[in-house]
Amino acid sequence: MNPLPIDPKNLPLVNGDEFQGNLSQILLLVILLGTAAYLLLQHGLVKSKMMAIAGAALFGFAALMAFMSIPMQLEPIVRMCFSILAVAGAVAFVTARESVHAALGFATAVLSACGVMFMQSAYFIAAATMIVYAGATIIIFLFVLMFAQKSQLQWYDVELKNPLIAAGVATCLLFAIAWSVSEPGEILPVKLDLTRPYSLSVPGPAPGEGMPPVPDPTMSPSQLAEFTPAKTSGLGRSMFTDYLLAIELAGTILLVATLGAIVLAQKPERDPS
Amino acid sequence: MISRFIEYWPVLWPALAAIAVILAVVPFLGLYMTFIERKVAAYVQDRVGPNRVGPFGLFQAVADGIKIFLKEQLIPDHVYTALYFIAPSFSLITAMFALVVMPFGPVATDYKSGFRFMVAPGIDIGILMMLAISSLSAYGIIVGGWASNNKYSIYGAIRSCAQFISYEIPLGMSILGVIAITGSLNIEQIVKAQSGSLLDWNVFWQPVAMLVFFTSALAETNRLPFDLPECEQELVGGFHTEYSGIKFVLFFLAEYTHIVTVSFLTALLFLGGWHFPGLPDPSGASTLVLALGLLVLLAKVSLVVMVIILLRWALPRFRFDQLMGLAWKGLIPLALVNLVGVAIVLTLGLPKHLLIATAVLPILAAYYSAAKFNASLESDNTLRNGIQPQGAVSYE
Repeated sequence: MNPLPIDPKNLPLVNGDEFQGNLSQILLLVILLGTAAYLLLQHGLVKSKMMAIAGAALFGFAALMAFMSIPMQLEPIVRMCFSILAVAGAVAFVTARESVHAALGFATAVLSACGVMFMQSAYFIAAATMIVYAGATIIIFLFVLMFAQKSQLQWYDVELKNPLIAAGVATCLLFAIAWSVSEPGEILPVKLDLTRPYSLSVPGPAPGEGMPPVPDPTMSPSQLAEFTPAKTSGLGRSMFTDYLLAIELAGTILLVATLGAIVLAQKPERDPS
Repeated sequence: MISRFIEYWPVLWPALAAIAVILAVVPFLGLYMTFIERKVAAYVQDRVGPNRVGPFGLFQAVADGIKIFLKEQLIPDHVYTALYFIAPSFSLITAMFALVVMPFGPVATDYKSGFRFMVAPGIDIGILMMLAISSLSAYGIIVGGWASNNKYSIYGAIRSCAQFISYEIPLGMSILGVIAITGSLNIEQIVKAQSGSLLDWNVFWQPVAMLVFFTSALAETNRLPFDLPECEQELVGGFHTEYSGIKFVLFFLAEYTHIVTVSFLTALLFLGGWHFPGLPDPSGASTLVLALGLLVLLAKVSLVVMVIILLRWALPRFRFDQLMGLAWKGLIPLALVNLVGVAIVLTLGLPKHLLIATAVLPILAAYYSAAKFNASLESDNTLRNGIQPQGAVSYE
């Protein structure tokens, strides 16, 4: 029996074309979300309950709109749920009055983003994000917040100087992201070839070689099966060939940071007298 | 939708069956590990232990379970209700979620269809995924401690934060050597690399890694030498001071699930998993061989569980600075030196069994730190416990 009843013809091309809306829909979505952000970012974060309810309702409506324009299959729906949860966590992060709630909102956003990455088969980056952000960074945040806990909130904890500008910038960013996402490129699956000096993450031919092989609908299923979506081993290979300099630089920066932390943590020397 | 469901059924049912096994076995195991723990504790202290309910007291666990389910729901006035309820369930969810990528029986690496003793076989990043999920298990304790709105609970939560962050580093570092030589993050591949003779087990060439891994994994379970988040003598009950009834039990079910996970991981990564000399590889093997492999794995796991339970009665609790010192000054350097050794062996193409020489490292480290401690005792005017030694002269 074939263990995986998946048509190999469907396997190779990974498209990002699930969003089937047009430009006006995207614009409407962006404006709705921007208004929701403004309502949720009133003076003193959420000043009145009505504003918060209106903002949440707008957010829900935008989510519903986006939900309607995805195909009715299991995977996009699960991914959509993760995305909505991520945005909701981010909203909670920005609007929460209690700092611990804000940190937990951040954790929700990060974990939901990891869920989206898992749905896209980006296992390594999802696990790394979970370890680094959810597992370490936010726990350090919580550690500091609990140490510095105070009973009364200060005015600078809740007072937002200019919510309009904040919401405007957020809307512009949202529009830019929506624009670039609505015209997705294709992610070509590659043939992991250990003899090549460079991996295939760099488009075009490697120095001294011809064009890398690309899957082609005319190929036989067995030929197509040799092309796999990028895997963890491919990622490791790419990191230590194509991006070697960047990795080494990041390592150097971390080393310098560690040394700095050691110097800062040292107790001042006791006066011998 | 239905047709797709039927189409995917052959790949779906093994995963569903494995999930069912985990969901059925873990609470049962949690119940009975409390019983085993009480029995072992009793024998360690020269008592008999629970022996009234059923033969040898075997139904004591069931009676405890019924009692705890029927307990009154007590919710203190001052807690943050939503988070107070989320915390125990979150800690159990993370503890059980980590079992998704863990093989609990022999898994062949050809991944033929049928039941496979694993929920998600063939995940590329198996062990990394495990670490990622177990790094979330701190949230249950931290959120619970904070939501209880009680000084003792918050101290427990803060201690738990610091402990988790510190011990995650040696935990990850210790298995890097195994991963580097195996060349895979996949747990099934790591186990497969230990097939063959007894000397192929990772423990025989990564003894330091196993020591560091076991210690830091034990620290993440909050078991006795490391149970500062809940230490009864200082913090009443630590993070679970305000919890009672079934919510309290969820926390402890999570702790026992962690113990099972740690034992399985130690057996899989270092003790050869389901391999035993003379037992064939599970791929294409008969049901009898699979059952034997399962028995071998379970025997190794119960050995590790017994070590963990006995450690509770052998070691006193750490002081907090000792806890931090052990992680940052003891385990991390040991893991780093071990990793450098693996790198040298890999680069020069030496036989990997030369790495057994690293076994002297912990002994050297213990000798060095003991010598340093003695020297500091001698150079101090006062002993650590504040008693002036006889004839000591103050220079102030």
